[in-house]
Amino acid sequence: MHPVILVFIYGSLTALATGIGALPFLFVRTISPRGVAYANAIASGLMLGACFGLLLEGTESGTWGTIIGANLGVLFILATQRILEHHNVHFGSIGRGGSRRTLLMIVVMTVHSFSEGVAVGTSFGGGMSLAVLITASIAVHNIPEGLAISAVLRPQGVSVAGCAGWSIFSSLPQPLMAVPAYLLVDTFTTFLPYGIGFAAGAMVLMVFLELLPEAYQRARKPRVALLVSISLAGMIVFQRFL
Amino acid sequence: MNPTLTVLLYSSIAAAAASLGALPLRVRGVMPTAWIGWANALAAGLMLGTAYVIVVAGLNRMVLAGASGAFLGIGFIYWTHLIARTEDLDLNRLDQTGPEYGYQVLLVQSLHSASEGVAIGAAMSLNIALGVFAALAFAVHNIPEATVLCTVLRARRIRLRDAAGLAVLTNVSLVLLSIVTFSLIMAAPSLLPWALGFAMGALVYLVMMEPLPESYRQAGNTSIALVTSVAMGMVVLLKAFLL
Repeated sequence: MHPVILVFIYGSLTALATGIGALPFLFVRTISPRGVAYANAIASGLMLGACFGLLLEGTESGTWGTIIGANLGVLFILATQRILEHHNVHFGSIGRGGSRRTLLMIVVMTVHSFSEGVAVGTSFGGGMSLAVLITASIAVHNIPEGLAISAVLRPQGVSVAGCAGWSIFSSLPQPLMAVPAYLLVDTFTTFLPYGIGFAAGAMVLMVFLELLPEAYQRARKPRVALLVSISLAGMIVFQRFL
Repeated sequence: MNPTLTVLLYSSIAAAAASLGALPLRVRGVMPTAWIGWANALAAGLMLGTAYVIVVAGLNRMVLAGASGAFLGIGFIYWTHLIARTEDLDLNRLDQTGPEYGYQVLLVQSLHSASEGVAIGAAMSLNIALGVFAALAFAVHNIPEATVLCTVLRARRIRLRDAAGLAVLTNVSLVLLSIVTFSLIMAAPSLLPWALGFAMGALVYLVMMEPLPESYRQAGNTSIALVTSVAMGMVVLLKAFLL
């Protein structure tokens, strides 16, 4: 098989893995307002845990690039939030505040997939066994990310199939970025720290701007703190083991 | 220098830094509510950044022991708050002047500092430079934290000098725990991943429980999110350049 096709297939597999994250919601029937808060808290912990990993990786491959990327990521979220506020967006049958949060979540997670796609593509430069290892680990990382997306979307009334679909959508940049990254490894490796920093900045700001305030409003703070800290620790262990 | 003395020196610096938190009140007199929120967010971001530094440093140690330690740390703070009945306590009430409330705030603050002590002790035993970094990060973190505490104490008509003293006193637990943790790990090195995990779990739990929740009401979501993220980013950045 032509290597480019192989890279594309591997990238697509990692994208599909994100959809698995929606599956736990098959077992949760109804979601109360407090359930929304808990889901937000879990998503916050998972995203912060993922950012710890991203920040380490970014600062190891280029500190300045990561810093610049992170600042751009923060500005990007602020700008997107302003635009969504101005345009009175509606996302399906979801209310206004919920629509903004849902869209932001999808945008943030989609943007953050770009650097993962680059990682898949460039890994093929280092030989097949390395590529399989990195692809598998990114696929596994994607599952809790799908869980985080679904935790925000599902309480807004999006169906489980919809959650899985949007989760996979958010990872579509992976096959799309993997191919050019494979063909132009050197160029992409130079820009990788910027991409990683951008993703980390955007995710951290998303957590503190949208997810946590909502969680604190609807649930008692010890519960929120408990869920955030446990899911953060869980995410770190998960990423370390796999 | 004797390593234990190094631990004592730097944890004392972290504790003493709390007295600087009284300075903004000295200059301004009364703190606007939004400033209290930003001080809280600053403290939260610095603490989360330090938790990141500790996690990253301990990543290659035994993952299972580290994770178990994290759950112990989270569970420890959760249960102590439950037993002390302080789990829902709003730490920033300026209108509450009952004697019980004052003691509760000081107790919660001491418990908070104790976890920071475990973090410093664990970091010091992993490597001294890391420990010094963590201690200095907590020293800076203690300043906005003490500003908030002093504001609450001032509202209870406590003199500013005494408020600053109390802020330092709540950090005595930081000094004690950092030395105890350090000595225990020196005696039994297998405790290290447990202590690192404990510190990380407790720190993250405390950030989410104490400075952050009230801050959103005090200053609004956007500025709090920005201050927290930037403060966390500063610690991450300094770690990348210095360690």
